[in-house]
Amino acid sequence: MEEYIVSLDNLKKIADELLNNHCRVIGTTSENKFKELNYAEELVLNPGAVPTSSSFKEFFFPKTEPLFFYKQNHSNVDLFNPIQDKSKIVIIGAKPCDAASLPIISKVFNWDYKDDLFNSRYDNSLIIGMSCHYSDEFCFCNDLGSSPENMKGSDVFLKPLADNYFKVVSVTPKGAEFINEYQKYFEKDLGKNKSLERKEENPKHFDYDKVKTWLDNNFENKFWDTAGEMCLGCAQCAFVCPTCHCFDIVDEQNGSCAGRRAKNWDACQFSLFTKHASGHNPRDNQEKRYRQRISHKFKYYMDKFDEVLCTGCGRCSRGCPVSLDILQIVEEINSLSGNSNSIQ
Amino acid sequence: MNELKQICKEALTEKKARFIIAYREDKNKKTKPFIARTPEDAEQIIFNHQAVNNLAVYFPRFKNSGEGKIGIVVKSCDLKAVTALIQENQIKRDDLFIIGVNCSGVVRDTTMEFSNDNTQIKCKYCQAKTPPYYDELAEESKEFEMPDDDQAELMARIEKMSSDERLEFWSAEFEKCIKCYACRQVCPMCYCEKCIVEKSEPQWIDTSSTARGNFSWNIIRAFHMAGRCIGCHECERACPMDIPLTLLTRKMGMVASSEFGYRHGMSLTEPALIGTYSTSDKEDFIK
Amino acid sequence: MEEKFEPKIVAFVCNWCTYTGADLAGTSRLKQEANARLIRVPCTGRIDPVFIIKAFENGADGVLISGCHPGDCHYNAGNFHARRRWILFKNLLDFIGIDSSRLHFSWVSASEGKKWVDIVDDVIDTVRAKGPFKQYKKMNKEIEIPVDVEEGVSAK
Repeated sequence: MEEYIVSLDNLKKIADELLNNHCRVIGTTSENKFKELNYAEELVLNPGAVPTSSSFKEFFFPKTEPLFFYKQNHSNVDLFNPIQDKSKIVIIGAKPCDAASLPIISKVFNWDYKDDLFNSRYDNSLIIGMSCHYSDEFCFCNDLGSSPENMKGSDVFLKPLADNYFKVVSVTPKGAEFINEYQKYFEKDLGKNKSLERKEENPKHFDYDKVKTWLDNNFENKFWDTAGEMCLGCAQCAFVCPTCHCFDIVDEQNGSCAGRRAKNWDACQFSLFTKHASGHNPRDNQEKRYRQRISHKFKYYMDKFDEVLCTGCGRCSRGCPVSLDILQIVEEINSLSGNSNSIQ
Repeated sequence: MNELKQICKEALTEKKARFIIAYREDKNKKTKPFIARTPEDAEQIIFNHQAVNNLAVYFPRFKNSGEGKIGIVVKSCDLKAVTALIQENQIKRDDLFIIGVNCSGVVRDTTMEFSNDNTQIKCKYCQAKTPPYYDELAEESKEFEMPDDDQAELMARIEKMSSDERLEFWSAEFEKCIKCYACRQVCPMCYCEKCIVEKSEPQWIDTSSTARGNFSWNIIRAFHMAGRCIGCHECERACPMDIPLTLLTRKMGMVASSEFGYRHGMSLTEPALIGTYSTSDKEDFIK
Repeated sequence: MEEKFEPKIVAFVCNWCTYTGADLAGTSRLKQEANARLIRVPCTGRIDPVFIIKAFENGADGVLISGCHPGDCHYNAGNFHARRRWILFKNLLDFIGIDSSRLHFSWVSASEGKKWVDIVDDVIDTVRAKGPFKQYKKMNKEIEIPVDVEEGVSAK
């Protein structure tokens, strides 16, 4: 198979063509945020940039979206379906820790009930991933079986070369089709452009299997009493996370006798999350809620879907108002598991 | 630094406080809040330019949690929150063991070193580097250059706008909100057991992060802070979407001070602005 | 001919003074425009600013709040507490961009039927001149039934 390279300018031309074809093109901008692009010129690809403060999950799983609208009609209620935006979604420049999130959350959205809202967007999307040249004390993709060059979740993968060129790797049939369609913008790789390698390898922090075994056996452990003790119970971590997918369903009134039912982001760190109508709250303190967060990510999701519900992007830790660091918590669990596996 | 550790250690050894809410450094040299329960824990206590958190936010969860005083390490600005909570009858002075620290300014961006450009705006208006009252005092205060108040510029710009332009500005800012409620959770003055957005019979404020839900939430949050905000700037620091939240609370503080000559968190005995009234309050806007 | 804009005004009035004053205006056969919808509350002190927001959310172009004159409160000090809150809230809304042409306050006693009529007419004129509150209505768009929805289905 022939190997291709593409220049940044040509990538922008592709983005331009996609925009003209009424696709939703999402890329990183000069502010290092994922944004639905209005012009191809807004696109900035920087493999050395820190992961954006928010993930791109909102383009697949929006912070709020209607399930249906209702209106009272005498003794009946009329229901109306919302209009679905059926345009193709193209993400340009997703880091491996971003791209990997979609196949992970796709499992929960297709486990029992098939979530059409998520699926219609995900099935109709193309993810152009890019290898990552950034690493800080919060990054830990390496520890979860991924890496800065991992192509999980990407359809097309870009590897930065010198002089604003990228080596193009087709990962899925969808990706191959895309490269075929925009063939004119890709050049044959003659090996002229030097590839930009990462300066250093990411260190390994913990052994996931050990962490999982410890979590399996230590639901009741005094470690949990202090692990999440300083957590303030906001949802910054969950809402910027590429894999957190919990939602709440609410009815919202507009005027009299009309309104909508909406699906909104929700988070396990809110005290209201588990509060029963009776007033009883099984997770009645922040320590228990924090245990839920860690356990869901590193144990329950693995038990149920055979995936870790975390890609190691480190966004939650970078943004935490009280500097709670998920990596340090997992590292502590790792070191605890070295000592004993018994229930304390 | 050793002095602060020593004071905390003594306080815990001599049971002057049953625990101390303080700062420690983690292995990545990040300063973060923690609770020191034993004299050994106190070894970890530090204070530096990165100690941005307002620790008074942790009080509500220790309300009626047992006998003995709660120890807390406070900067002068954080002490205003403590004072305000006492004013609002949320906590008693006698239940606290206050370890004041002389502060030499804190950073705005915790990922960068302290410098003149990286200093919180509140430090410019800090009237006392030494807390006005305390049980013990630690740390030497060092002189530092006052930061520029770039917020005042933005404030002036907004004040010059027409009301339609202002509405446009704020609608665009509030649109970014994702309703993570970090602003509420980090705020030491937001201690309601049930927040107004959680009141669902009826649902006063939409929980959805729609334009309407965001707008209502942010207005009501700002109103509930009116005349109560002590200016610790924690809400804005915590906001993952970078909404200039302190512009609102600062504006309301300016109104409280110009209309009522009142500043919250400055006196242990003065009654709070909201919940009291004066027969001579201005009413030129009432027909 | 261009149709005259009829603004929606929500008026929160206290039971003891303004509501009675408005009643007097009615029994006295005083004429007033019909744009104001009155919501009777026990006291102006009962009016949480969230009510005002709710009124705008539900399509009000202007809000009027009215109660007993200072010193006349049925509960002694309800209106004093309210007044202090209004000063702060009015300034906040002004800073956010909802200016005083949309938010009005007045004291109207039970005997001031004429004053009530004058104030209501004045508020209606001011809001009418300002025009519909398009910016706030725009914020409702996500919650409204989209215009070109797929055919609705009836659920019993």
